[in-house]
Amino acid sequence: MIMDYENLIKLLNTLAQEYLFMDSNDMDIPTAGKFLNQLEQIMDEAKKLKVNPVKSCASSLSQILEKTVLDAIDDKDAAANVFESGIHLMQEIADSFHNTGKYEGSIQEFLKQTSVVAGVASESGTVDNQSDQTKEDTQDIKPQKVESIQIQDESLTRDFIAEGLEYIEEIEINILNLENEPENKDYINAIFRPFHSIKGVASFLNLEKIRALAHNLESLLDKTRNGEISVSPILIDVVLDGADALKTLIGQLRDVLEGKPIADADLDIPALTARIHKIEQGFDTDAVGKKIGEILVDDGVISKEKLEETLKTNAASPDKKIGQTLIEEGVVKPKQVSQALRKQVDQVTDLTTIRVDTVKLDDLIDMVGELVITQSMISQDLKNQVNADKRLTRDISQFFRITSALQRVSTSLRMIPIKQTFQRMSRLVRDLAKNADKMVSVELVGEDTEIDRNMVDEIYNPLVHMIRNSVDHGLETPEERIKAGKSEKGMITLKAYHRGGNIVIEIADDGKGLDKQKILSKAVKSGLVQSDENLSDQEIYKMIFMPGLSTAAKVTDVSGRGVGMDVVKRAVEKLRGKIEIESVVGEGTTFITRFPLTLAIIDGMIVKVGSESYILPTTSIRQALRPPRESYTNVVGKGEMINAMGQLMPLIRMYDLFDIEPEHKEPWEAIVVVVDSESGSRCLMVDKIIGKAEVVVKSLGEGLKNIKGLAGGAILGNGRIGLIIDTEGLFELAEES
Amino acid sequence: MNEKNIKVLIVDDFATMRKVVRNLLKQVGYEDIVEAEDGVMALKALKSQKIDVIVSDWNMPNMTGLELLKAVRADEELSKTPFLMVTAEALQDNVVAAVKAGVNNYIVKPFTAEVLNEKIKKIMENINK
Repeated sequence: MIMDYENLIKLLNTLAQEYLFMDSNDMDIPTAGKFLNQLEQIMDEAKKLKVNPVKSCASSLSQILEKTVLDAIDDKDAAANVFESGIHLMQEIADSFHNTGKYEGSIQEFLKQTSVVAGVASESGTVDNQSDQTKEDTQDIKPQKVESIQIQDESLTRDFIAEGLEYIEEIEINILNLENEPENKDYINAIFRPFHSIKGVASFLNLEKIRALAHNLESLLDKTRNGEISVSPILIDVVLDGADALKTLIGQLRDVLEGKPIADADLDIPALTARIHKIEQGFDTDAVGKKIGEILVDDGVISKEKLEETLKTNAASPDKKIGQTLIEEGVVKPKQVSQALRKQVDQVTDLTTIRVDTVKLDDLIDMVGELVITQSMISQDLKNQVNADKRLTRDISQFFRITSALQRVSTSLRMIPIKQTFQRMSRLVRDLAKNADKMVSVELVGEDTEIDRNMVDEIYNPLVHMIRNSVDHGLETPEERIKAGKSEKGMITLKAYHRGGNIVIEIADDGKGLDKQKILSKAVKSGLVQSDENLSDQEIYKMIFMPGLSTAAKVTDVSGRGVGMDVVKRAVEKLRGKIEIESVVGEGTTFITRFPLTLAIIDGMIVKVGSESYILPTTSIRQALRPPRESYTNVVGKGEMINAMGQLMPLIRMYDLFDIEPEHKEPWEAIVVVVDSESGSRCLMVDKIIGKAEVVVKSLGEGLKNIKGLAGGAILGNGRIGLIIDTEGLFELAEES
Repeated sequence: MNEKNIKVLIVDDFATMRKVVRNLLKQVGYEDIVEAEDGVMALKALKSQKIDVIVSDWNMPNMTGLELLKAVRADEELSKTPFLMVTAEALQDNVVAAVKAGVNNYIVKPFTAEVLNEKIKKIMENINK
């Protein structure tokens, strides 16, 4: 193959010319940058043409330039000389290749010269302050007194306190996210950056302790970012502790500013720094069976030096425990030792955790459910016994207590905190906000609230829809917010708590609130309501759950197409949940959803039709009544109707559907239960209402799995079986017949 | 060129840091100072007014200082705007990347007003040559 050296020679000539015309000994940074880029081109070209000597020369010249830029060259004249001769050498080599296809000379002598000039001891890394840094790390080990805080510039310091604390909050949120997605580099960056910023300002304000700690955390995260160390629970812990310590330090700073005495904080920065360094060096601090002293050091309660010192004095009296000695010396508080002791125990319990197949777990809970039902049957029988044995009664009540405890424990096995779901959502909010050009912060309340594992996945989608709605339509753009006198950053609050056997999840935004007029006019336009109807706020808000109604002016990726909120409502109801809206114009909207804690137990109303018992889910029941004779009408083409609650509703005769001989055949003798569903309300005609009960949902088995109108079965208190009604299915069944 | 006539754009996401730099600049006589909290805002500011020198932090969300520098150099109108990069450490890789991207100079935190002034002055001298 014939090589074309023209281009390489041209590149070298340009470099030589520009170097020649440069003001001597004035290598400013832009010029260096230009040369560096030219050298890079030369290297690429030389590599392509396999002219290795040129490549090596160019690379070593780049090195000299890089050192020049970093101001790391002592002998500048020598560097200039070497640089010039390097350019000539490369031209010579290229010419030789051009003419003969090879170069016979040696470049070794030249490379030696460049390495002398560049002082190639350190190839990469920090050139500035490198020696300083090691020095300051050793200084860190010495505890510093809090009293030494000196305020340099008051106004700046105040700003720093406010903004610094904000940044630390950001760190906390992101580190929790990182815990869930350890691979996500964005989170590491999002944690790294605030530490970096805090460090930068602290260095200007001469806040040495804050600077040093932020620096150590930053370099730890830098290593994590580069993949040198992995994201482990220990790392997460130490960064969180570091963030806490920074918060405390900044708090002390504020105390000083306000002339208050500095709050006495349990802060052992050297111990914390030691932990950071340990992780940085890749030590696994998670060794099981750690000694109390080590735990105290890891927790940052005492420093390693202090521990060793105490261990030495302790050696004289072997009976004494190290924790005791430390307390006696006043180094630690008894509480801290007991915390450490607890941790030591925790380490053991960690070992005894096992993973269990969820199917087995479900079986267990199922069996316990039956046990509870059997128990209530026994209790029923016992009441009917007139002369019950006293001892038997006592034993049985003991048995009841144990059963209910067993039920509590077994259901708790499947409960997990909603935290993870929330954190996934706060991530979602951020992404959505970015797409919508809005500024949003997320607040999580009650993340530790527990919910059945089986529910977690089910509720995720409806919640996501609501959040999308809040970000897209609830919150205003920063400009609009400023105009409205609000802070430009919107706030979405996710809140979870238990109330009355349900988990309540609230999604609140502080946006513009629902526009009643707009919803109403939309609803009128699409014929959902008459304009003159007198509707309450709640009723108007609920219209956004109707299919085909979207008030969004702009259709975004995910919402504003009229599908969305109606889907949400259906999904929530499928899970036997409820959804409510609160809204104040200009202040925001809150979606309040209630879900049962578990799908394994249903809150139902037991009704009787003939000799059969059925269970209706309480969430779908609006009212039960005995209708007067005149409320019954038979409308042509529509069938039987009942006028209840001021509305005509279709009547469904349960005995007809299930082919049972009933007690009553006329609605005005029987009871009708008004049941809500997606497709409107219906009246179910039953013989009587037995009462409310919590029943354990049982599948009817493979063969009877997909029977329309039935959601499952349950064993009732009297030992008989009741069938659980699936209202939606039942309605469809009635329509068909 | 007098300090008074030099319009400086400070770019940093940390508001306190912007104030620090602003105060330092004022100490040595600069009066015409504007701020931007990230690269995107900085580009907006650059488009709307004549900026004599950019003093930008390296480490910022959305758009890093290096990305801002590249964006400025790639923009026909702005490409000649002097750019002073603020870094926390003189990490060789970072500095070299900035130099290759056409930075006019860099400065390592923490710095004094005098050093900052000196760097800006030097940049202005060099471009006016």
